[in-house]
Amino acid sequence: MNLGKNSSANYIIVLCCALFASAAFAQSDAEFAKANQEYAQGHFKEAISGYEALVRAGQWSANLFYDLGNAYFRTGDFGHAILNYERALALERHHPEATANLQIARDEARALEMQQSAPERYLRFASVNQYSIAAAVAFWLGVFCIVRLLLARRRSTATILLSVFLVFVFAVGTLAIYELDHGSKGRGLAIVTDKEVQARLATADTANSVLALPPGSEVKILSTRGDWVYAALPNSLRGWIPAKSAEQVRL
Amino acid sequence: MYRVRLSAIVLLAALIAFAGSDAAFADSPSVTAVLSNSEAAIGETVQLQIKLSGARDARPPENISVDGLEIHATGTSRQFEMRNFTTTSSVTYNYTILPLKAGRFTIPPQTIRVGSQLLRTPELRLNVADSAAGSSSSGAGQNAQSVGTGKLIFAELVVPKKSAYVGEIVPVQIRLGFDPRARPRLIEPPEITGQGFTAQKLQESGENSETISARTYEVVTFKTAIAAARAGKFEVGPVKAKAQVLMPRRPSSPRSRSRSPFDLFNQDDPFSDPFFSNPFGQLAERREVEINSEPVAFEVKPLPQKAPPSFSGAIGNFTMATEAKPNSVQVGDPITVTATITGRGNFDRVNAPVLEDEQGWHKYPPSSKFKQDDDVGISGTKTFEMVISPNEKKQNVPVMAFSYFDPVKEQYVTLRSEPIAITVQGGAATTPSAPVAERPGSPAPATAAAPATTKPQDILYQLTERPKAAQSFAPLYARQAFWTAQLIPLLALIGFIGWKIRQARIDNREARRIAALQHEAAELMRKLHRSDASPREYFAEASRVVRVKAALAAGGRRIDPNMVDVDTAADTFRLNGDSRERLRRLFEQSDELQYSGAHNGSGKISPENRRDVLELIENLRA
Repeated sequence: MNLGKNSSANYIIVLCCALFASAAFAQSDAEFAKANQEYAQGHFKEAISGYEALVRAGQWSANLFYDLGNAYFRTGDFGHAILNYERALALERHHPEATANLQIARDEARALEMQQSAPERYLRFASVNQYSIAAAVAFWLGVFCIVRLLLARRRSTATILLSVFLVFVFAVGTLAIYELDHGSKGRGLAIVTDKEVQARLATADTANSVLALPPGSEVKILSTRGDWVYAALPNSLRGWIPAKSAEQVRL
Repeated sequence: MYRVRLSAIVLLAALIAFAGSDAAFADSPSVTAVLSNSEAAIGETVQLQIKLSGARDARPPENISVDGLEIHATGTSRQFEMRNFTTTSSVTYNYTILPLKAGRFTIPPQTIRVGSQLLRTPELRLNVADSAAGSSSSGAGQNAQSVGTGKLIFAELVVPKKSAYVGEIVPVQIRLGFDPRARPRLIEPPEITGQGFTAQKLQESGENSETISARTYEVVTFKTAIAAARAGKFEVGPVKAKAQVLMPRRPSSPRSRSRSPFDLFNQDDPFSDPFFSNPFGQLAERREVEINSEPVAFEVKPLPQKAPPSFSGAIGNFTMATEAKPNSVQVGDPITVTATITGRGNFDRVNAPVLEDEQGWHKYPPSSKFKQDDDVGISGTKTFEMVISPNEKKQNVPVMAFSYFDPVKEQYVTLRSEPIAITVQGGAATTPSAPVAERPGSPAPATAAAPATTKPQDILYQLTERPKAAQSFAPLYARQAFWTAQLIPLLALIGFIGWKIRQARIDNREARRIAALQHEAAELMRKLHRSDASPREYFAEASRVVRVKAALAAGGRRIDPNMVDVDTAADTFRLNGDSRERLRRLFEQSDELQYSGAHNGSGKISPENRRDVLELIENLRA
């Protein structure tokens, strides 16, 4: 009898959660549609507010960031436009509209880009997620092959070669994940959003300038000290920039 | 004998040399005077040497006074020279001249008394230029403070100019002199006090020994630079410093004391204390003393009006060089223009040169590097790197202008770069720009206002679709679902390992069974080859061998040897009709002997029969 009561209660809780999630998603859909409408009417600041509310609510999608980037572009804020196009591309590598608009925004802002290292350039043909899957599959198949070799009476050459190949694939996949994640376009990638930002030699406004960074320029954050971040800059330079003048691409 | 003769020759030679030297001293004495440099700048010291030859005792001039020059005696040196058995000696009296103002100075002939004879030095001329510009100026003045006599320690503030412009960097020297016997220890470095100017960090530039007013001092020189923040009349200094010096402890009761050998002129020399003649006789103590210099009056003038547009506050004397790379680009490609400004002045106010005609160019804020050539950063090279990119076809990099105020010429100077030819491909060519000289202030030509040929691109449309679930920036390997999914292959691996182990165990059991059967078959075959078995035993063992062999030949089918009959064995060995019949007879005979009373008959098997059975069994192969 008690068991029956518990099952009913669990069912009700799950149902309530599903209904709540569904209602929340429906509400964010409405907010997204409203922000799109504001954009269509030329109310770009209102559209930005709507999109930003969705971003704060965690309703992230490539199209949301793309639309937000467009709204910023219309207001002339190329730094934030580029930031949001980059975010759209971080969620979907092959987002053709974001790629096209990002190029236009960069041309307008004269933004500086980070130079990728040679391994990073070659490894870019697949994403971190694809490398993760490949490495996981290679790992497990390799483990299966090695176990088979250990437990078999006779060790076949084909299994040995296959094991070596799978271990190699796993190693390459792991290295690729590390390289892409810690590379110039990895998790430390940030976009300069303020205007007239100067990278400096030290954490002071009076310190010598290393490089002037137009809005939309890419930097890679290496460490943080108070209100300053130490960043790798385009042209293989390094310097300190105010923390508030740049935002990380990955939220 | 030979040795005695040689000694006599050497003695004779020495006597001749001594006589020659006396002869040399007996020659009429002469005097010369020379300056180490006839050109100098304010604050730059020049050495004066008065050389007296052919005289042993002379009285050199104690004070040489020239208005605008501060001259101190710094020491005496003697030289002896032997040439062709003739010894000559000379005495050189050294003086240090510190020019205090610019102009042409004449050091008058100095009279030196040698015995009863009076000698006169030649007249010397010294041209003193303004320190900043290197040319003579009447604005400079005396600023160094003279050293008082009888002091253990002194401080001097040497300001080479009496007036400067607002923001102009003026080099300043601080000289701290210590009597070496006081074993000084500087505990607080010198500091220039005063208001209305900023001073750069002091740099110690050297230490030397100087004789001032017949007393030797160790002089430590510090260099810095000051810049006035506003116009008006100021006092620079005094310089303040603190040092610990060794002082003789004063006796409690007055007593007579001997004069110090250093106190030649009966001055109030503290080192005439007996302590310095006998350090173990009395104790000395370290005392902290404050060192102060005299302040220096300084007038600051405002900069003239109507500064050029590219003037950023740089004051001094500069030159500019520019270069651009690469020289051949596409429209929109970056060109790095490097402007190098070299000279002397306030480099902190030296900003990047400006583009005189920015039309058709996109410029980025420049970066800068400064390399100083001196201790205080007045002289050096500042390099600016500016990235510009053409928006249209261009033939030259735009002219860059840099303005500064020259305090010597007392006017603004604008430096302009030479046009650097470049090739820009893509886009439409623009009308060649106006000559550089006509550009400032002239109205822009009508053609320059034409819109750019490259039409700005517009961004793509909005996207209204949304995925059903929110996306994440976290990479796959950082998500919980990814690691949960790894449980599936992990469980599969565990199952696979279990299955493989079980399979291995089964294989082991089968191997043991086969080994037992093979052993049994071999044992039976050995018995069949013996001739002592009864027919009953012989045929029973023969049929058993056939069954065991059939079970072994069955392999993976795992046949129990006890269950093998004639047909099973014949099929297993794929026997033909004759062999099958012979096998059947073997089994029948075995059964007959086993279960009937036939074993009570003949006790032996004929050799033909035995051979026939063995042949049949040995030929049984799968």
